[in-house]
Amino acid sequence: MSDGRLDLDADSVGRDLVALVLTVLELLRQLMERQALRRIDAGGLSEEQVERIGTTLMLLDQRMAELCAQHGLRPEDLNLDLGPLGTLLPRD
Amino acid sequence: MTSPTVIYAFAVCRRCDPAALAGLPGLDAAAPVRTLAAGPLTAVVQDVPAADFAEDALRQRLTDREELERCARAHHEVIMAASAVTPTVPLPFATLYLGDARVRAALREKEESFLAALGRLTGRVEWAVKVYTAPAPLDSPSPSPTPSPARSPGAASALSPGTPPGTAPGTPAGSGRAYLERVRGRRQLRERRQNAALQAAERVDAVVRGLAVAARRLRPHGVEVTGAHRTHVLNAAYLVDSVRADELRATLEALRREETDVQIELSGPWAPYSFADGGVPR
Repeated sequence: MSDGRLDLDADSVGRDLVALVLTVLELLRQLMERQALRRIDAGGLSEEQVERIGTTLMLLDQRMAELCAQHGLRPEDLNLDLGPLGTLLPRD
Repeated sequence: MTSPTVIYAFAVCRRCDPAALAGLPGLDAAAPVRTLAAGPLTAVVQDVPAADFAEDALRQRLTDREELERCARAHHEVIMAASAVTPTVPLPFATLYLGDARVRAALREKEESFLAALGRLTGRVEWAVKVYTAPAPLDSPSPSPTPSPARSPGAASALSPGTPPGTAPGTPAGSGRAYLERVRGRRQLRERRQNAALQAAERVDAVVRGLAVAARRLRPHGVEVTGAHRTHVLNAAYLVDSVRADELRATLEALRREETDVQIELSGPWAPYSFADGGVPR
Protein backbone atom coordinates (compact mmCIF):
# COMPACT_ATOMS: atom_id res chain seq x y z
CA MET A 1 0.00 0.00 0.00
CA SER A 2 2.83 2.35 0.79
CA ASP A 3 4.36 2.43 -2.68
CA GLY A 4 1.06 3.12 -4.39
CA ARG A 5 0.78 -0.26 -6.04
CA LEU A 6 -0.98 -3.43 -5.10
CA ASP A 7 0.85 -6.68 -5.73
CA LEU A 8 -1.68 -9.40 -6.19
CA ASP A 9 -0.11 -12.16 -4.19
CA ALA A 10 -2.05 -13.57 -1.28
CA ASP A 11 0.33 -12.42 1.46
CA SER A 12 0.54 -8.81 0.47
CA VAL A 13 -3.17 -8.56 -0.27
CA GLY A 14 -3.89 -9.90 3.21
CA ARG A 15 -1.44 -7.48 4.75
CA ASP A 16 -2.83 -4.53 2.80
CA LEU A 17 -6.32 -5.45 3.91
CA VAL A 18 -5.22 -5.62 7.53
CA ALA A 19 -3.52 -2.24 7.16
CA LEU A 20 -6.69 -0.76 5.68
CA VAL A 21 -8.91 -2.16 8.43
CA LEU A 22 -6.53 -0.98 11.13
CA THR A 23 -6.36 2.45 9.48
CA VAL A 24 -10.13 2.77 9.73
CA LEU A 25 -10.03 1.64 13.36
CA GLU A 26 -7.28 4.12 14.12
CA LEU A 27 -9.31 6.91 12.50
CA LEU A 28 -12.28 6.05 14.72
CA ARG A 29 -10.06 5.86 17.78
CA GLN A 30 -8.56 9.28 17.10
CA LEU A 31 -12.02 10.72 16.50
CA MET A 32 -13.11 9.35 19.87
CA GLU A 33 -10.11 10.96 21.51
CA ARG A 34 -10.96 14.30 19.96
CA GLN A 35 -14.56 13.98 21.00
CA ALA A 36 -13.45 13.14 24.54
CA LEU A 37 -11.26 16.23 24.71
CA ARG A 38 -14.12 18.34 23.41
CA ARG A 39 -16.46 16.94 26.03
CA ILE A 40 -13.94 17.64 28.77
CA ASP A 41 -13.42 21.18 27.52
CA ALA A 42 -17.17 21.71 27.45
CA GLY A 43 -17.26 20.77 31.12
CA GLY A 44 -19.95 18.78 32.86
CA LEU A 45 -17.99 15.54 33.22
CA SER A 46 -17.08 14.37 36.68
CA GLU A 47 -13.49 13.61 37.54
CA GLU A 48 -14.41 9.93 37.68
CA GLN A 49 -15.97 10.00 34.21
CA VAL A 50 -12.93 11.73 32.75
CA GLU A 51 -10.70 9.14 34.34
CA ARG A 52 -12.77 6.29 32.96
CA ILE A 53 -12.88 7.71 29.43
CA GLY A 54 -9.16 8.38 29.54
CA THR A 55 -8.32 4.89 30.74
CA THR A 56 -10.53 3.30 28.08
CA LEU A 57 -8.92 5.34 25.31
CA MET A 58 -5.47 4.56 26.64
CA LEU A 59 -6.18 0.84 26.59
CA LEU A 60 -7.54 1.15 23.05
CA ASP A 61 -4.30 2.89 22.09
CA GLN A 62 -2.25 0.05 23.59
CA ARG A 63 -4.42 -2.52 21.86
CA MET A 64 -3.89 -0.77 18.53
CA ALA A 65 -0.13 -0.78 19.10
CA GLU A 66 -0.25 -4.51 19.80
CA LEU A 67 -2.33 -5.25 16.73
CA CYS A 68 0.10 -3.26 14.61
CA ALA A 69 3.05 -5.12 16.09
CA GLN A 70 1.37 -8.49 15.47
CA HIS A 71 0.91 -7.67 11.81
CA GLY A 72 4.33 -6.12 11.36
CA LEU A 73 2.96 -2.65 10.77
CA ARG A 74 4.35 0.61 12.05
CA PRO A 75 1.97 3.31 13.30
CA GLU A 76 2.88 5.47 10.28
CA ASP A 77 1.77 2.67 7.95
CA LEU A 78 -1.78 3.28 9.12
CA ASN A 79 -2.61 6.15 6.87
CA LEU A 80 -4.01 6.92 3.46
CA ASP A 81 -2.67 9.52 1.09
CA LEU A 82 -5.68 11.43 -0.16
CA GLY A 83 -3.71 13.42 -2.70
CA PRO A 84 -4.67 17.09 -2.67
CA LEU A 85 -6.61 16.58 0.55
CA GLY A 86 -3.51 15.47 2.41
CA THR A 87 -3.53 12.37 4.54
CA LEU A 88 -6.46 10.72 6.29
CA LEU A 89 -4.78 10.85 9.69
CA PRO A 90 -2.67 13.79 10.87
CA ARG A 91 1.04 13.21 10.61
CA ASP A 92 3.56 14.45 13.13
CA MET B 1 6.76 2.33 -46.44
CA THR B 2 6.57 4.73 -43.55
CA SER B 3 4.03 4.62 -40.78
CA PRO B 4 1.94 7.76 -40.23
CA THR B 5 3.39 10.38 -37.95
CA VAL B 6 2.13 13.28 -35.86
CA ILE B 7 3.99 16.35 -34.68
CA TYR B 8 5.15 16.64 -31.10
CA ALA B 9 5.70 20.31 -30.24
CA PHE B 10 8.16 21.15 -27.46
CA ALA B 11 8.49 24.89 -27.42
CA VAL B 12 8.00 28.16 -29.24
CA CYS B 13 10.64 30.80 -29.77
CA ARG B 14 11.35 33.64 -32.19
CA ARG B 15 14.30 32.18 -34.05
CA CYS B 16 16.06 29.05 -33.03
CA ASP B 17 19.35 27.90 -34.52
CA PRO B 18 18.68 24.29 -35.58
CA ALA B 19 22.29 23.48 -34.66
CA ALA B 20 21.32 23.84 -31.00
CA LEU B 21 18.95 20.91 -31.41
CA ALA B 22 21.28 18.65 -33.39
CA GLY B 23 21.73 15.22 -31.89
CA LEU B 24 18.91 15.46 -29.38
CA PRO B 25 16.94 12.20 -29.28
CA GLY B 26 13.65 13.87 -28.32
CA LEU B 27 10.68 11.57 -27.81
CA ASP B 28 11.45 9.14 -30.59
CA ALA B 29 14.96 9.00 -32.01
CA ALA B 30 13.75 7.86 -35.43
CA ALA B 31 13.26 11.45 -36.54
CA PRO B 32 15.35 14.51 -35.64
CA VAL B 33 14.17 17.37 -33.48
CA ARG B 34 13.66 20.23 -35.94
CA THR B 35 12.38 23.77 -36.21
CA LEU B 36 9.27 24.94 -38.00
CA ALA B 37 8.85 28.64 -38.74
CA ALA B 38 5.59 30.55 -39.11
CA GLY B 39 5.71 34.34 -39.31
CA PRO B 40 7.84 35.76 -36.52
CA LEU B 41 7.67 32.54 -34.52
CA THR B 42 9.43 29.20 -34.65
CA ALA B 43 8.20 25.98 -33.11
CA VAL B 44 10.57 23.25 -31.98
CA VAL B 45 8.99 19.99 -33.09
CA GLN B 46 9.60 16.35 -33.85
CA ASP B 47 7.78 13.79 -36.00
CA VAL B 48 6.67 10.88 -33.84
CA PRO B 49 4.78 7.71 -34.78
CA ALA B 50 1.05 8.38 -34.69
CA ALA B 51 0.34 4.94 -33.26
CA ASP B 52 2.52 5.57 -30.18
CA PHE B 53 1.01 8.96 -29.52
CA ALA B 54 -2.68 8.30 -30.03
CA GLU B 55 -4.58 9.39 -26.96
CA ASP B 56 -5.16 5.92 -25.54
CA ALA B 57 -1.71 4.61 -26.37
CA LEU B 58 -0.10 7.65 -24.81
CA ARG B 59 -2.17 7.47 -21.66
CA GLN B 60 -1.38 3.80 -21.35
CA ARG B 61 2.35 4.41 -21.77
CA LEU B 62 2.46 7.26 -19.30
CA THR B 63 1.00 5.16 -16.50
CA ASP B 64 4.36 3.42 -16.53
CA ARG B 65 6.56 5.55 -14.32
CA GLU B 66 9.78 4.75 -16.10
CA GLU B 67 8.29 5.60 -19.46
CA LEU B 68 6.79 8.78 -18.04
CA GLU B 69 10.16 9.76 -16.66
CA ARG B 70 11.90 9.05 -19.95
CA CYS B 71 9.36 11.15 -21.89
CA ALA B 72 9.40 14.00 -19.37
CA ARG B 73 13.19 14.11 -19.42
CA ALA B 74 13.29 14.06 -23.21
CA HIS B 75 10.75 16.90 -23.28
CA HIS B 76 12.77 18.86 -20.74
CA GLU B 77 16.07 18.24 -22.52
CA VAL B 78 14.82 19.73 -25.79
CA ILE B 79 13.36 22.77 -24.01
CA MET B 80 16.62 23.34 -22.13
CA ALA B 81 18.62 23.10 -25.36
CA ALA B 82 16.39 25.67 -27.06
CA SER B 83 16.26 28.03 -24.11
CA ALA B 84 20.05 27.92 -23.85
CA VAL B 85 20.28 29.76 -27.19
CA THR B 86 17.12 31.86 -27.32
CA PRO B 87 14.14 32.94 -25.16
CA THR B 88 11.74 30.04 -25.25
CA VAL B 89 8.14 29.41 -24.26
CA PRO B 90 7.88 25.76 -23.15
CA LEU B 91 4.73 24.04 -24.35
CA PRO B 92 2.82 21.66 -22.09
CA PHE B 93 4.05 18.08 -22.02
CA ALA B 94 2.52 16.01 -24.85
CA THR B 95 1.41 18.88 -27.09
CA LEU B 96 0.60 17.15 -30.40
CA TYR B 97 -0.47 18.32 -33.84
CA LEU B 98 -1.62 16.36 -36.85
CA GLY B 99 0.83 17.99 -39.25
CA ASP B 100 3.08 20.96 -39.99
CA ALA B 101 0.17 23.01 -41.32
CA ARG B 102 -1.66 22.63 -38.02
CA VAL B 103 1.39 23.79 -36.08
CA ARG B 104 1.73 26.85 -38.30
CA ALA B 105 -1.97 27.63 -37.90
CA ALA B 106 -1.66 27.37 -34.11
CA LEU B 107 1.37 29.66 -34.10
CA ARG B 108 -0.42 32.23 -36.22
CA GLU B 109 -3.58 32.05 -34.17
CA LYS B 110 -1.77 32.63 -30.89
CA GLU B 111 0.99 34.79 -32.32
CA GLU B 112 0.20 37.76 -30.12
CA SER B 113 0.14 35.86 -26.85
CA PHE B 114 3.31 33.91 -27.75
CA LEU B 115 5.11 37.16 -28.58
CA ALA B 116 3.89 38.71 -25.34
CA ALA B 117 5.06 35.67 -23.40
CA LEU B 118 8.44 35.75 -25.15
CA GLY B 119 8.78 39.41 -24.29
CA ARG B 120 8.02 38.69 -20.68
CA LEU B 121 10.38 35.71 -20.47
CA THR B 122 13.35 37.23 -22.26
CA GLY B 123 16.30 37.50 -19.91
CA ARG B 124 14.43 35.74 -17.14
CA VAL B 125 14.46 32.25 -15.72
CA GLU B 126 12.28 30.27 -13.37
CA TRP B 127 13.38 29.26 -9.91
CA ALA B 128 11.49 26.89 -7.68
CA VAL B 129 11.32 27.26 -3.92
CA LYS B 130 9.99 24.44 -1.80
CA VAL B 131 9.46 24.68 1.93
CA TYR B 132 8.97 21.64 4.14
CA THR B 133 8.29 21.20 7.81
CA ALA B 134 11.46 20.11 9.55
CA PRO B 135 11.32 16.39 10.36
CA ALA B 136 9.64 15.73 13.68
CA PRO B 137 12.07 15.01 16.50
CA LEU B 138 12.45 11.24 16.76
CA ASP B 139 11.69 11.17 20.44
CA SER B 140 9.01 13.80 21.02
CA PRO B 141 9.43 15.55 24.32
CA SER B 142 6.73 14.99 26.89
CA PRO B 143 3.81 16.61 25.13
CA SER B 144 2.03 17.54 28.32
CA PRO B 145 3.08 21.11 29.05
CA THR B 146 2.29 20.98 32.76
CA PRO B 147 2.25 17.39 33.92
CA SER B 148 0.83 17.04 37.37
CA PRO B 149 3.70 15.67 39.46
CA ALA B 150 1.52 13.25 41.38
CA ARG B 151 0.41 11.56 38.17
CA SER B 152 3.60 11.51 36.17
CA PRO B 153 4.95 8.14 37.30
CA GLY B 154 1.73 6.38 36.35
CA ALA B 155 1.65 8.22 33.07
CA ALA B 156 5.11 7.09 32.14
CA SER B 157 4.44 3.40 32.61
CA ALA B 158 1.02 3.59 31.03
CA LEU B 159 2.51 4.62 27.70
CA SER B 160 4.73 1.60 27.27
CA PRO B 161 3.15 -0.42 24.49
CA GLY B 162 4.04 -3.70 26.15
CA THR B 163 1.47 -3.28 28.88
CA PRO B 164 -0.99 -6.12 28.35
CA PRO B 165 -4.65 -5.31 28.05
CA GLY B 166 -6.86 -6.07 30.95
CA THR B 167 -4.70 -4.17 33.39
CA ALA B 168 -7.42 -1.60 33.81
CA PRO B 169 -8.10 -2.35 37.46
CA GLY B 170 -4.39 -2.09 38.23
CA THR B 171 -3.73 1.18 36.41
CA PRO B 172 -2.79 3.92 38.82
CA ALA B 173 -5.40 6.48 39.74
CA GLY B 174 -5.27 9.52 37.47
CA SER B 175 -3.59 7.76 34.56
CA GLY B 176 -6.70 8.07 32.40
CA ARG B 177 -6.73 11.83 32.74
CA ALA B 178 -2.99 11.99 32.30
CA TYR B 179 -3.35 10.04 29.05
CA LEU B 180 -5.92 12.50 27.75
CA GLU B 181 -3.64 15.39 28.67
CA ARG B 182 -0.82 13.75 26.73
CA VAL B 183 -3.10 13.38 23.73
CA ARG B 184 -4.04 17.03 24.01
CA GLY B 185 -0.41 18.08 24.37
CA ARG B 186 0.62 16.08 21.32
CA ARG B 187 -2.13 17.69 19.26
CA GLN B 188 -1.24 21.17 20.40
CA LEU B 189 2.41 20.56 19.65
CA ARG B 190 1.57 19.34 16.15
CA GLU B 191 -0.68 22.32 15.50
CA ARG B 192 1.96 24.74 16.76
CA ARG B 193 4.60 23.14 14.55
CA GLN B 194 2.33 23.23 11.51
CA ASN B 195 1.33 26.85 12.10
CA ALA B 196 4.95 27.84 12.57
CA ALA B 197 5.87 26.11 9.31
CA LEU B 198 3.00 27.73 7.39
CA GLN B 199 3.93 31.16 8.69
CA ALA B 200 7.57 30.59 7.82
CA ALA B 201 6.47 29.57 4.32
CA GLU B 202 4.54 32.83 3.93
CA ARG B 203 7.58 34.84 5.02
CA VAL B 204 9.81 32.99 2.57
CA ASP B 205 7.30 33.57 -0.23
CA ALA B 206 7.04 37.27 0.57
CA VAL B 207 10.81 37.74 0.52
CA VAL B 208 11.40 35.82 -2.71
CA ARG B 209 8.47 37.61 -4.41
CA GLY B 210 10.35 40.81 -3.76
CA LEU B 211 13.10 39.61 -6.10
CA ALA B 212 10.81 38.17 -8.75
CA VAL B 213 8.87 39.73 -11.62
CA ALA B 214 6.16 37.09 -11.28
CA ALA B 215 5.30 34.34 -8.85
CA ARG B 216 3.04 31.32 -8.82
CA ARG B 217 1.98 29.09 -5.98
CA LEU B 218 1.62 25.47 -7.04
CA ARG B 219 -0.05 22.68 -5.19
CA PRO B 220 2.25 21.20 -2.54
CA HIS B 221 3.31 17.60 -3.10
CA GLY B 222 1.76 14.74 -1.18
CA VAL B 223 3.45 12.15 0.99
CA GLU B 224 4.33 10.05 -2.01
CA VAL B 225 6.83 12.64 -3.17
CA THR B 226 7.97 14.21 0.10
CA GLY B 227 8.32 11.03 2.13
CA ALA B 228 6.39 10.45 5.32
CA HIS B 229 8.75 12.35 7.59
CA ARG B 230 7.96 15.86 6.38
CA THR B 231 5.11 17.95 5.01
CA HIS B 232 5.35 20.16 2.00
CA VAL B 233 4.05 23.62 2.95
CA LEU B 234 5.18 25.83 0.07
CA ASN B 235 5.60 24.92 -3.59
CA ALA B 236 6.22 28.12 -5.48
CA ALA B 237 7.76 29.20 -8.78
CA TYR B 238 9.30 32.59 -9.39
CA LEU B 239 10.23 34.31 -12.60
CA VAL B 240 13.47 36.14 -11.90
CA ASP B 241 15.77 38.27 -14.02
CA SER B 242 18.75 36.11 -14.96
CA VAL B 243 21.18 38.69 -13.60
CA ARG B 244 19.71 38.39 -10.11
CA ALA B 245 20.64 34.72 -9.65
CA ASP B 246 23.40 35.43 -7.14
CA GLU B 247 21.20 37.79 -5.20
CA LEU B 248 18.51 35.11 -5.08
CA ARG B 249 20.93 32.46 -3.82
CA ALA B 250 22.22 34.79 -1.11
CA THR B 251 18.68 35.64 -0.06
CA LEU B 252 17.83 31.95 0.23
CA GLU B 253 20.94 31.38 2.34
CA ALA B 254 19.87 34.15 4.69
CA LEU B 255 16.33 32.74 4.85
CA ARG B 256 17.68 29.30 5.74
CA ARG B 257 19.57 30.79 8.65
CA GLU B 258 16.53 32.72 9.88
CA GLU B 259 13.81 30.13 9.41
CA THR B 260 14.97 27.24 11.48
CA ASP B 261 11.53 25.65 11.76
CA VAL B 262 11.49 24.63 8.12
CA GLN B 263 13.63 23.17 5.36
CA ILE B 264 13.96 25.43 2.34
CA GLU B 265 14.97 24.09 -1.06
CA LEU B 266 15.88 26.20 -4.06
CA SER B 267 16.13 24.70 -7.53
CA GLY B 268 16.80 26.22 -10.90
CA PRO B 269 17.33 27.93 -13.15
CA TRP B 270 14.54 26.25 -15.07
CA ALA B 271 12.95 27.02 -18.39
CA PRO B 272 9.91 29.13 -17.44
CA TYR B 273 7.44 26.24 -17.36
CA SER B 274 5.17 27.92 -14.83
CA PHE B 275 5.01 31.21 -16.69
CA ALA B 276 4.50 30.02 -20.23
CA ASP B 277 0.78 30.71 -20.47
CA GLY B 278 -0.66 34.03 -21.64
CA GLY B 279 -1.65 35.61 -18.37
CA VAL B 280 0.62 36.09 -15.40
CA PRO B 281 -1.41 35.51 -12.29
CA ARG B 282 -0.22 38.05 -9.76
